[in-house]
Amino acid sequence: MVRLPIRWQESTRAVHHANHYYGHSHVLARWCGLDDADPPRIHGYLQHGWNIGDGMAPDHAFVPGAPLFVWSSRVQRRAWSLGRRQVVAIGSPWAYLLAMEPAEPDIPRDIPREGTIYYPFHGWEGQHVVGDHQGLIEEIRRVEEGPVTICLYWQEFRSRKLRQTYERAGFRVICHGYRGGWWKDLDPGFLVRQLAEQRRHQRVASNRLCSAVFYGTLAGCEPAVYGDPMRLEGERSAFGGEDFIQRNWPFMLGPRVDVARARQAAIDELGADRLLPPSALRLLFRWPAPVGVS
Amino acid sequence: MTPRLIGGEMTVWSDLDGKHGAGPVRAATLRPLLGAACGRTLVAGPHAVDLLSCLPSSPLTLLVRGLPDADYLADRFADHPSEVTVLCGSLAKLAAAPAFDTVIALDGLGRLRSAEDDAAGASWADDLARLVSVLAPGGRLLLGLENLFGLHRMLALPPSPTDADWGDAAGEYDASRPASPALLGAALAALGLGVRASYGAFPAPGNPSLLLSTSLLADRSVRGWATAAIRTAFAATAPALADPGRIAAGALRAGIGAELACGWVVLAQGPSDSPAPQPPAAVVGEAAIDSDLPSGPTLDELLLAASLRRDMPALRELLAGWQGGDNAGVPADRIVVAPDGTRTPLAPAVQPETALAQLAATMIREGHAYLWPAPADQAELTALLAAMAGREAAEIPPVVLDPAPGLRETLMERDRLTRELAEARAKQGWYEKMLQAREAELKRVRRINTMLMATMPGKAAKASYGGLRAAKRALRKLKG
Repeated sequence: MVRLPIRWQESTRAVHHANHYYGHSHVLARWCGLDDADPPRIHGYLQHGWNIGDGMAPDHAFVPGAPLFVWSSRVQRRAWSLGRRQVVAIGSPWAYLLAMEPAEPDIPRDIPREGTIYYPFHGWEGQHVVGDHQGLIEEIRRVEEGPVTICLYWQEFRSRKLRQTYERAGFRVICHGYRGGWWKDLDPGFLVRQLAEQRRHQRVASNRLCSAVFYGTLAGCEPAVYGDPMRLEGERSAFGGEDFIQRNWPFMLGPRVDVARARQAAIDELGADRLLPPSALRLLFRWPAPVGVS
Repeated sequence: MTPRLIGGEMTVWSDLDGKHGAGPVRAATLRPLLGAACGRTLVAGPHAVDLLSCLPSSPLTLLVRGLPDADYLADRFADHPSEVTVLCGSLAKLAAAPAFDTVIALDGLGRLRSAEDDAAGASWADDLARLVSVLAPGGRLLLGLENLFGLHRMLALPPSPTDADWGDAAGEYDASRPASPALLGAALAALGLGVRASYGAFPAPGNPSLLLSTSLLADRSVRGWATAAIRTAFAATAPALADPGRIAAGALRAGIGAELACGWVVLAQGPSDSPAPQPPAAVVGEAAIDSDLPSGPTLDELLLAASLRRDMPALRELLAGWQGGDNAGVPADRIVVAPDGTRTPLAPAVQPETALAQLAATMIREGHAYLWPAPADQAELTALLAAMAGREAAEIPPVVLDPAPGLRETLMERDRLTRELAEARAKQGWYEKMLQAREAELKRVRRINTMLMATMPGKAAKASYGGLRAAKRALRKLKG
């Protein structure tokens, strides 16, 4: 067995714990030919969700000189304009996953996609959404013709009352899993489960344009964004907020959208057209070569 | 008034505040050109409000990419809501309708697209075509363009990237981006626009203090005047790799002054029955200049040529004529000497010795120190030049000039000082050696003297010498 340099033996500790959210680093380790159960440290910050800022979460504490690995060239430019340096657009883990999972092995090909997977806007840990779920249910019923799956964030999924609200409406309620935090309870299979679910559905929808809608679009679903966008308690509109999204991605909004155009936007925003080969990604992350590769 | 968001706007970005790169175009030097504007006018890119307020025409549309800038402009022009429209967003989102009689983009095309705009495939020519597409037939375009091979870049270290350099343009590697006034004219001609006036801008592309028309830059008869004007423009700039004034003078001699300008400003227009008024031949500071310019070289060129030829009589005559005349305090590189000998000063006079010291510094910095006996530092050479001009060198007070303007001059000075230090040390070594020899000689003579004093004749001589001195003292007392 090849003995790794000491710095690789630290393993499983990213520069920032957010690098491991949703099993992102696990997907990228798999792409790089490394052990995806125990991804090495990424020497930098990995964008973990679609956003209209510099790609990073506002609570990230940055170490000077550590690179930022963002999904798209647009975020790369924006991050630079906001004073960030060493910003590299590498594409999103989701796009890498799709590149590795082009087939749909868990769904027989003769069963067509069906219905809609809907992601109600969610807060993150410690945040609470203010909104009318009953009103949203009625709107979903008005728009959707097929069966509806509601995918809740783990925080909302824990609320039996909320789950039952959607279940009583006849919707299937699921949760893709826990995203992990502070290197604990990591969920390497998060994105894999999300992909399997999305590939069962004809449509992907949410009440706000978000990562899940772009993910679904790239995974072959027709996207839609409609319904009460709800609000976070004490929400502040950084970088222009929802108004900015409405002006810049109007073609993604509404119950029926131009699928071809939406798909191009998903490719752009998820950086699906700029995936790096494993050797280049390993160099950027300062990851070791797989065993057997010199 | 509320800005109209056209898409691609940057919500937390400002070009006008100057904190993320160059500030807006604001030079008063550009004002005389704004007279070309007429009818519905679009001003695209960051331009200072002071400049905008000089525009004669209305209605006015302003396009900026940063939302804070758009809000600021909307606030500043709130009193003219019917005449001023503020658009915020990327050039890519500007409706391609021929809605304007004049388009002004003195900042160039580099800050018209936003970070929200996927411009990876867009070339400079694409952007120009998009901007020209909003121009009505016969409309006027006032366009600025930085020369990426201009003196300001050629003679500077690579600048640190700013927040504005997020990489939406290939810069000098964009083959469609004009690299000379001729190529700029061709790019405009390809879009049906003819160049009515074209300027080289100095010493900074966006905020020049000097505009010289390209025809003036090519006119050898006024080369001295143009050289002096460019030297003045560069005088206040930061130190560079080499004195830009010297390189500019060489470029004008080579007939490539326009090609090496820091930027270009053109007034272009499509075929029209109402051609734009001809703008001035040059703008210095805020003054438009059209009148006859003095022809001939500058005095310092004549002085340097005479020095290089070792033509001392000619050099003395030039120096005496200068220092004995009315322009003794005007620096030699700011005096144009016409073929008939008429001297035209182009700068206010300083102390004559300062002007002489500046000439001495120029001679040293141009690499001509070897023409004079060492140590040819500025003070020595100033005194020598003053003496040759017929003044007493002792009258010349020491003059302290600014340090050398560029790395090249600094290196030359270092080499000269190194050589002078080595020479001074060699001379010191020679003095030491000589001193030791003389001291040894002195010791030997003293020793002989002591020995001689111990002999009988020596004692007798000492006694008689002592008696003689006592007699002289007694005599002095008697007289007193």
